[in-house]
Amino acid sequence: MRLTLEHKAETISIELTPSGKYYRARIGEQTFEVEVRRARAGTLELLIDGKRITAYVSAEQARRWVSIDGHTVMLTRTSGARRGGQAGHPPAGVLTAPMPGQVRVVNVSEGEAVTPGQTLLVLEAMKMEIRVQAPMGGVVKKLLVKQGQTVDREQLLVEIVDMPQQ
Amino acid sequence: MFTKILIANRGEIAIRIMRACKELGIQTVAVYSEADQSALHVQYADEAIFLGPAVAGQSYLDMEKIIEAAQQTNAEAIHPGYGFLSENASFAAAVSAAGLVFVGPSAESIRLMGDKAQSKIRMKEAGVPTVPGMEGIEDREDLAKAAREIGYPVLLKAAAGGGGKGMRVLNAEDELSEAIESVRREALSAFGDERVLIEKYIPQAHHIEFQIFGDQQGNLVHLFERECSVQRRHQKIIEEAPSPLLTPALRETMGEYAIRAARAVNYFNAGTVEFIFDPEHSSFYFLEMNTRLQVEHPITEIVTGVDLVHWQIRVAAGEPFPFSQSQLSQRGHAIECRVYAEDPQNGFLPSTGKLLQYIEPVGPGIRLDSGVAAGDQVTHFYDPLLAKLIVQAESRELTIQRLQTALQVFIVHGVVTNMDFLQMVVSHPDFAAGNVSTRWVEDHLMPGNLSPSKKDPIPAFHVIAAALAETTLLDQSSSFENRNQPDPYSPWKTASGFRLGGSNGQSLP
Repeated sequence: MRLTLEHKAETISIELTPSGKYYRARIGEQTFEVEVRRARAGTLELLIDGKRITAYVSAEQARRWVSIDGHTVMLTRTSGARRGGQAGHPPAGVLTAPMPGQVRVVNVSEGEAVTPGQTLLVLEAMKMEIRVQAPMGGVVKKLLVKQGQTVDREQLLVEIVDMPQQ
Repeated sequence: MFTKILIANRGEIAIRIMRACKELGIQTVAVYSEADQSALHVQYADEAIFLGPAVAGQSYLDMEKIIEAAQQTNAEAIHPGYGFLSENASFAAAVSAAGLVFVGPSAESIRLMGDKAQSKIRMKEAGVPTVPGMEGIEDREDLAKAAREIGYPVLLKAAAGGGGKGMRVLNAEDELSEAIESVRREALSAFGDERVLIEKYIPQAHHIEFQIFGDQQGNLVHLFERECSVQRRHQKIIEEAPSPLLTPALRETMGEYAIRAARAVNYFNAGTVEFIFDPEHSSFYFLEMNTRLQVEHPITEIVTGVDLVHWQIRVAAGEPFPFSQSQLSQRGHAIECRVYAEDPQNGFLPSTGKLLQYIEPVGPGIRLDSGVAAGDQVTHFYDPLLAKLIVQAESRELTIQRLQTALQVFIVHGVVTNMDFLQMVVSHPDFAAGNVSTRWVEDHLMPGNLSPSKKDPIPAFHVIAAALAETTLLDQSSSFENRNQPDPYSPWKTASGFRLGGSNGQSLP
């Protein structure tokens, strides 16, 4: 997955590649080994090159607020990832598993209308519960997993599309 | 004791006052504007009355509507908070005329101290030292002559002013004509009164104020000082108690003069006497008196152990204030930082938006007086104060350390805040040494330090976190629950237009 972010007048690009248990993050010449230890609403607990980092992250449209160690930065997402290719990022509306785990509950079925924030699936991973929520209102186009199924990190779970126009 | 009080304010101070009321077993009535329908203070109260449009003039400054709301709900008293109508003598008088109790001083003392020229004359009569200057002169030639007598630099300011508005520093006579015009213009527009006064300008002045408290039985004491010199354009940013500059002798003398100032206007309830302190000569001069509770009152509460809002209410109900001067003392140290939704790197312009995350620091010696919660919308209609972070410890050094740590863990997402700026100030050696005058922020930090051209490289870890959030965390602007109150079924949360009293005016779709 590749992403470009802007901070004031400067842009920066990052490439995230899953690699076994980790992600490899590449920013310019630098590479980092990143593990997601815990992810819940607004907080990410990470291991970046073995260093424990707690990051508070909030998103609103293209804006990303990130606080680490008392330092808060607001970044603007200027372009999403490239579609297709081996590090392809799924289209917006396709939700993926943040880490390997098991599908505990499936709350919706294909064709069902959903509201923003509605919990679609509940995953269990590393003894915590992850609620996969709809990023926008719409309709469940495809449900790609079922209850009890084990999933890998980045595995596609469900696809939401806009409500068809009346 | 009152059974019900209406709080004629909003945000953090409304909540502060309501909290005291609840603790005293008093029912609370909130008032709110259109912009504040989901505000924390509305949900905190037992009842809430809708006032009108967001513009203060049609809501929080509307005296008639507020008094009507109190009568409608059978409130016995009105607490004005700070700002808005708190120092409006007509309002205080109207409240009394309506048979209600105004939680504050008499309308007369508000009027006397509200006129800066008048109050200065009174102070001189009472023998309280005032800044060398002259009031009651309006003619350009007379002002020029006065300026020459006082000696440049001088300060030209609005006689009916306050809060830092309508003031100009003059370094030479050739600046006078233009300054007179501009101060008069600003004075007319902000206060409806063109009168000016001229006084000596003390460049490295510190702002030291004394908390005064009186009851209706004639007792009057002071609860010591607050140092409020970290200011920008005369707006306070950081306050502390005690002041690192005062010796016990100075403290005692200034305290006595503060009481003398309050006595001169037969003051009762809470008030603050502000002094300009010249560290070079250890001299002090009366600046003005604020006839209300101050924003920074918590630091006094912490070092003296006295709950000022409780006593405001109890004294207004007729109780005597139980502490004599000798029973009051300061212990430990406290510092308050005002967390504003503003962007220091963009001329401190207010920042608006939804609070996507709002996590306050918690721990020993940390107090947060806040008016907002996660999910709230910060608008441009009112003062952008989000919260007051108040920290206490045994010593000043420890308090500063505690404050630095607290600022580090205070998370606010969705609006830009001045927290990086606050951190910069409290970490500065000048602040540690107590060498911050009222000009410090403008002189030291403004030029260059905060300009956008100073580029920090975008921190890599932040970028990594932002990228990971694409797959793990989702857009919180739509999926956020309103965590304002434990009761998710509170009628104050619905958009149904349920309002107590008054007409709704909405038609159902």
